[in-house]
Amino acid sequence: MATTNATIGLASDVTDSSLSISNSTQLNTAGTTTGVNTMTSVTKVLASTDQVDLITTSSVSTTHAYVYINNPSTDETKYFTVTIGNAGAGSPTDTEEIGRLYAGDFMWMPWDVDDDICVTPSSSDDMTVEYMVFS
Amino acid sequence: MATTATLTLASADIAGDPVSVSKIATLTKAGSTNDLDQSSGLNRVHLRSTANKVLLAANAEGSDLAAKVYIINKSDDASLYLTVTINAQTIGKLYGGDFLFIPWSQTDIHANIEVAATNWTSSTGDIPVEYALFHEDTDFLTNA
Repeated sequence: MATTNATIGLASDVTDSSLSISNSTQLNTAGTTTGVNTMTSVTKVLASTDQVDLITTSSVSTTHAYVYINNPSTDETKYFTVTIGNAGAGSPTDTEEIGRLYAGDFMWMPWDVDDDICVTPSSSDDMTVEYMVFS
Repeated sequence: MATTATLTLASADIAGDPVSVSKIATLTKAGSTNDLDQSSGLNRVHLRSTANKVLLAANAEGSDLAAKVYIINKSDDASLYLTVTINAQTIGKLYGGDFLFIPWSQTDIHANIEVAATNWTSSTGDIPVEYALFHEDTDFLTNA
């Protein structure tokens, strides 16, 4: 068992009264207080606008995981469309779009490891995507 | 006007060497450097239903616009979880204390974000859920 903590902070002055949120949690296996003990960290450079099966269910041996994906680009026009769903034979199909990671954006979410997580680059120029999986 | 999101991941023992990742993002409108200028504020509900409930209703106009969603399960019980879905596609389970921060495309009016207290019973108590939406909107232009 390992101890891994995730902390999020959100600060916004969009409203007249500013908003500040901070929370921290220990990453545990499903429904327990036992820490996750497996981590994967990957950086990939994609050079096509084809959808890519980024994180496959076969890469994780549990039914509960945490996923971090980052778009480190500094070009605001370069984004990844992130989807989740059933990967078809040889190419991802039947996927639900979660959202777009624009330059500098990241996402953090639990993953039930039922379906693959896919990304589609917005450009065929080299685009770097980084991800981590804790399970 | 700006909204920033910071995520830190840290572990002293999940690998042979300590792991520490820290990322900060300034939330911008789609494909631009202009800040997101609209917010739902922080909301809190108490979930007591095993059926899916709409937490955030999709606006089809949002398909090509930027939106970020924060959801946290504030239960102290590590075994109580929320199942989070978008358009009936399960994303994952938020156990007590867990949170998510994701972009949200709202590809159509069915792309609602829904939550269900899947293993809730009358004896487990409610699951407190807090959430916030930061977004842009074509109908409410507030940023020149």
